[in-house]
Amino acid sequence: MLTFDTIAQVLWTSLATSSYLVLFAVAFALVLKVNQIFNFAQAAVMTIAFYSAHAVVSMAGQPGVLGFLAALGSAMLAAAILEIFGFRSLRRRRASQMFVFIFTLIVSELVAYLAMLIFGTWPTTIFPSLFWPVSLVGNVAVSAWDVPALGAMLGSLALLFVFLRYSQPGRFMIAVADNPDLAELYGIEKNRIYLYAMLIAGLLIGVGMFLYGSRAQVQATTSIELMLFAIAATIIGGIGNVWGAALTAIVLGVVQNGSVLFIPSEWQGFLLYVFLFLAIVFFPNGVKLPERKRGLARKVASVDLGEGAAAAKPATAGEG
Amino acid sequence: MKQTRSFTRRSALLAGTAALALVGASSAQAQEALRFGMAMPLSGGQATYGQDQVKAAEWAVAEINQKGGVNGKKLEMIVLDTRADPQAGIQAANRLISVEKVPAFVSAWSAVVKAIAPVANDNKVVQLSVGANSADIAKLGDYTYTTFPLADVDITAVARYAATQMGKKKAAVIYINNETGTVAAQIYRDVFTKAGGQVVAYEAYDPKASDWTGPLLKVRAAQPDMIHIQGLVADTPQVIAQMRQLGLTQPVSSYSAVYNPKLIEQLGKAAEGVIATSLAPGVTDSPAVAAYVERWKKEVGREPNGLPYTQYLYDAPYIVAAVYKSMDDKKLPMTGENFRKEMLAMRSFDLPLTGKLTINDDHTVNKPVYLMEVKDGKWTQKAVVN
Repeated sequence: MLTFDTIAQVLWTSLATSSYLVLFAVAFALVLKVNQIFNFAQAAVMTIAFYSAHAVVSMAGQPGVLGFLAALGSAMLAAAILEIFGFRSLRRRRASQMFVFIFTLIVSELVAYLAMLIFGTWPTTIFPSLFWPVSLVGNVAVSAWDVPALGAMLGSLALLFVFLRYSQPGRFMIAVADNPDLAELYGIEKNRIYLYAMLIAGLLIGVGMFLYGSRAQVQATTSIELMLFAIAATIIGGIGNVWGAALTAIVLGVVQNGSVLFIPSEWQGFLLYVFLFLAIVFFPNGVKLPERKRGLARKVASVDLGEGAAAAKPATAGEG
Repeated sequence: MKQTRSFTRRSALLAGTAALALVGASSAQAQEALRFGMAMPLSGGQATYGQDQVKAAEWAVAEINQKGGVNGKKLEMIVLDTRADPQAGIQAANRLISVEKVPAFVSAWSAVVKAIAPVANDNKVVQLSVGANSADIAKLGDYTYTTFPLADVDITAVARYAATQMGKKKAAVIYINNETGTVAAQIYRDVFTKAGGQVVAYEAYDPKASDWTGPLLKVRAAQPDMIHIQGLVADTPQVIAQMRQLGLTQPVSSYSAVYNPKLIEQLGKAAEGVIATSLAPGVTDSPAVAAYVERWKKEVGREPNGLPYTQYLYDAPYIVAAVYKSMDDKKLPMTGENFRKEMLAMRSFDLPLTGKLTINDDHTVNKPVYLMEVKDGKWTQKAVVN
């Protein structure tokens, strides 16, 4: 059973399917880091992104590119509406974090219910066909979906890295994440930065949901189920550590899939909860990398706020 | 004497009044509708199915009444919403029993049927479960009967057919790890083994899974000559797609959940050879079903959600009408006890869209199982297993 081909196949497929999970986890971790919101309403944005692409491609018969743009556009719009009319208003009213969390739960359920009313309960896809042609690389089956999905995920993460590292709004975002009040003293408009974070999360969700919906069937409640994985990856990866969440999403996907080779398959789903439980009890701040590597991470993700902000405490990728 | 005359006159007056009252009463009775209940999800997540099923039943009631009703009496259906929720189901049942005073009512969705059963038993009102397929439905007491074959019927048929008619010796079973999946997978394993085959791989997967590489590689290593998938409508097409991508070309069987045109659309050539079950005749098997589907397309603009289920719901009022007719012929009071007694005495019903139904003493029903196979991009009938 444990042949090289089997292990290679599990590794490859897990890596490919982790593409959308990574994007969901990074989107969740980013909003948690910058906006300090445990945004369960991400499920609502995911649902909206999927059904927009579904409406454009599957229902209106438009090309996939338009469906992709519809997923991105609708996810960003939904994220912006959520921030402007939801979170901003709650911030103004100094709502507690628990209250904001309850609000996000309500939004996710509300949108799921609306999607059910509009699109029904039958599972649907973006493209009519779920079957992607396969090529054999050695004895490993590589589907025509795998490589573009990995490319989209890596491309999105690279763009996010460049944005956070080199663009001014990106650096401001990390500054706000680190200390919003101090950032405001340096003239950074918090509300605008929160909106940027939501928009970027929307973009990542749009890409992720398009990838997911082009490979799997989706129902109105699917996004809520997918959220558990994103939350688990964020908690294990270290709350507020965006890249840690991405790495954890990949590792969790591989471990979950590969575990079937060693344990009965009905235990597969249970593993996620075991990791989550262990992480919360023993690593409440996430699984930390060794100090030497953390130093490297700090160097890579340190923030340059410009002249005026030179005195501000530098943020690190590992801090939440 | 005077007293006697006066008495006689008064008696005549009273007798006349009583006679008039009796004539009036019997005329009102002729107009009185025979009522039964229908507790289905009209809102919530399952409403798309529930509403279509209610519509099918409404069409049947209208047709029965158009043809003269039940011995000239109008059949009336009282519809209440359960939201497919057990608590709402109990409320609906209580209203049907206490306020509407129906002797029988139709319900569906296993959790709702199970929750309602004690209420039906306590009040001696018959609950006809139409569509719920949990094996437990047969064990819910004297006043809950199903008109729909329970879970083991089609799985037994498909497992036995694979072993005896298709000559398969080694089967792999891959199933979703929930109540429906585990129970049905066990039935398949037991029946296939008993029929002389061997189950060489028996793999569960998580209900939230979106990738099945691990379990499928285990199946591939076991080298079966038949694969049975017991999943849900949401995940089974993806399992089949991934199975084909991993080079598993064996025939695949599943159950009624995958018998829909969407599977072929979603899988294309990968769907070839997939065997599914149907518990009701399809459009190619019955002109009545063909006309029924045409009516949906014409009046609603689409096929009904869950076509076979709507066929069973369409037939339900015909069962109720037949039992009411028998009760009316025998001038029995319209009570739940009499309904149950008459239904069991009749036992067999010839129904317009699902054919002959026989209700067994153990609260199960006998219905043929239609094995459907994807051939040249179309569902075609492979066999009928009785």
